[in-house]
Amino acid sequence: MRRLAVAVLAAAAAVLLLAFSGALFGHSPWSLLSILASGSIGSRFALEGTLLKSIPLLLTGLSVVIAFRAGVWNIGGEGQFIVGGLAAIVAAPWGVLPSLAAAMLAGAAWASIASAMRLWRNAPEVLTTILLNFTAIHLLGWSVNGPLRERAGQYPQTDLAESALPLMGRLHIGIFIAIATSVVAWWLLYHTAEGLRLRATGFNPNAARWAGISVGKQIVRAMAISGAAAGLAGGIELLGVTHRLFERFAAGYGYSGIAVALLAQLHPLGSIASAAFFGALVSGAGELQRTANISSGVATFGQAVVILTLIVFDHVRADR
Amino acid sequence: MIHLAHVTKKFGTTRAVDDVSLEVRRGEIVALVGENGAGKTTLMRIAAGELDADGGTVNVEGRAELVHQHFLLVDALTIAENLALTHRGFRFTTRRAIEREAEQTIAATGIELRDVTRHVSELSVGERSKLELIKAISRKPTTLILDEPTSVLTPNETEDLFRVMRRLADEGTAVVFISHKLPEVLAVAERIVVMRAGRVVAESVSQDTNVNALANAMVPSLLAPFPASGERVAEGRVRGNITAILGVAGNGQSELAAKLRDDHPEGGHIPEDRTRDGIVAEMTIAENLALKSKRWNAREAAKQAERMIALYSIRANGPLQRAGDLSGGNQQKVILARELDRKPDLIVAAEPTRGLDIEATRFVHGQLRAAAERGARITLITSDLDEAFALAGTIQVIYRGRLSDPLTPEEASQRIAGLMAGVT
Repeated sequence: MRRLAVAVLAAAAAVLLLAFSGALFGHSPWSLLSILASGSIGSRFALEGTLLKSIPLLLTGLSVVIAFRAGVWNIGGEGQFIVGGLAAIVAAPWGVLPSLAAAMLAGAAWASIASAMRLWRNAPEVLTTILLNFTAIHLLGWSVNGPLRERAGQYPQTDLAESALPLMGRLHIGIFIAIATSVVAWWLLYHTAEGLRLRATGFNPNAARWAGISVGKQIVRAMAISGAAAGLAGGIELLGVTHRLFERFAAGYGYSGIAVALLAQLHPLGSIASAAFFGALVSGAGELQRTANISSGVATFGQAVVILTLIVFDHVRADR
Repeated sequence: MIHLAHVTKKFGTTRAVDDVSLEVRRGEIVALVGENGAGKTTLMRIAAGELDADGGTVNVEGRAELVHQHFLLVDALTIAENLALTHRGFRFTTRRAIEREAEQTIAATGIELRDVTRHVSELSVGERSKLELIKAISRKPTTLILDEPTSVLTPNETEDLFRVMRRLADEGTAVVFISHKLPEVLAVAERIVVMRAGRVVAESVSQDTNVNALANAMVPSLLAPFPASGERVAEGRVRGNITAILGVAGNGQSELAAKLRDDHPEGGHIPEDRTRDGIVAEMTIAENLALKSKRWNAREAAKQAERMIALYSIRANGPLQRAGDLSGGNQQKVILARELDRKPDLIVAAEPTRGLDIEATRFVHGQLRAAAERGARITLITSDLDEAFALAGTIQVIYRGRLSDPLTPEEASQRIAGLMAGVT
């Protein structure tokens, strides 16, 4: 309960600070709040926009939840998202399922580069996963300017993917995949012996080792699952929303997953609410840009406030 | 130096300290004894200003310094750097300077700790506790409070510690000494205060009391028969299956235990540092108990945990209590339950009773003997002479990473002091 209260407080702090910061630009907080609300949940159109943004956020959030629960700092969601998109478009001619499977495999493989370096050379995954993000960004840039460039050859982007997720209005069925994934992640973490061992490894790898748990195996597996979730997010975004790749395909979803996971207090089911909140924040920020001429970058500011609030409260808790 | 009057401290519904009055005078060595969870540490944390009392008055002249049972050291830094951290205020300095300072500080305390350039992560538990003590003394406290300082020390190291304590007392420092080991307490303290369930239940001058009287005050149930060890233990069989690896901390015991763990993953392994290696503090008792099981089902695990809590007399609110909130003795029982309940053929127990009170120690010994009686081979890695002689049929001394030939307890008692100091 206490953790839920802290999460709600952090979310509320983000929204309020966002609203009051508008005063700097001569807007009343109240009007900004109402713009945020109407842009995120005010209409069917806005709500669809919010949910569309929430889908990749939920999956990258789950990716972070699983890795952090095992005590591995996978900051590489962005790169795993990108290679997921790349694999998905390459496999798209064979249909949706092979395409999504390829996305998951690619994400898992990309993350496994980091865990391999951790195991063999003890390279900290915080660094290697971030560096792999840049590698993936350049791989994407090269691909859309080179081998995967559209046949028309006009823009640095790919042709439309040859398959797409079934649509429901503006929404696509990725929302069910994402929710199912969080239920599966919850079941894995809290209802299987391996999930118990994964969490023990995350809390105290020494004690885990003494209890006969292979810490290396846990890390490798958690990284692979985590990468697969981020890769899946990329695949779903490609087949459901963008339908093609371009240089700014990832749009920060990989990094935002960290905020989603932290606000969810690293709980897979909490991530659903957390992803919906950040989806609404991004959507609402888009409306701010359109009607109040405030950069939609304020959504990032909101994420920062959430993370900082959570960190402060974690420290308060640690000091007691 | 310390005047506590009617001090009370509650954690939730339990009264950890209940209307306690205590006075410690200049130049006096006072021992505070009692079971785990009797409130000794809480009381001393209040005296040292780490906790606020809920009621009563706390009066401390000068500075009270508490040396914790758990280490408050920075593993990634060297001995010298850890000592330099105690320096307040801003200054420029060099590595050489802080190393020289550290050597002087250590020399001034009269405690032996070589090579200040070693990182704390390389130190044995015994050495870490020495470093904690040096840190505390270097701050020149008027009252020095030591929480279970001898649980990681060997007899010789303990003697050294007592010399340091007596010298500090002669110089006017008040020394409070929290311990379970009654013979030690009688040897070093002038006055002994016994706590039980948050209250002071007895107080006497050392000359006027003895081990039995103190033990009875601490644990009124001590005379009750002890069930787990069985009524008629086949003494020969038990001893035949227990080998003690005896030595001063830091002679390769940790490496040996880790090697045995990796070579025999199917065995039961009780690590020497239970908070670091034994317990996942953030997880529940049920989860900790299930770490080695093949299947995990929250409801079944809770049921299983309830059975273990009863069987191993773990004092807990229930299977869903956080393991980190248990007292040290009860954490150790959780580890024992997890490691022994599957009845492994091989058991490696490293310092299994370090820091435990009499009752918990007896319980652990009873469990080990019961396991040996049913035929498990037990390797008992310990720095506690009494423990080795009480349980083992074979004793090997470890010194600088080498094991002596196996000795019978009779042979060992002749040669033990020399072997532990490296003289053959």
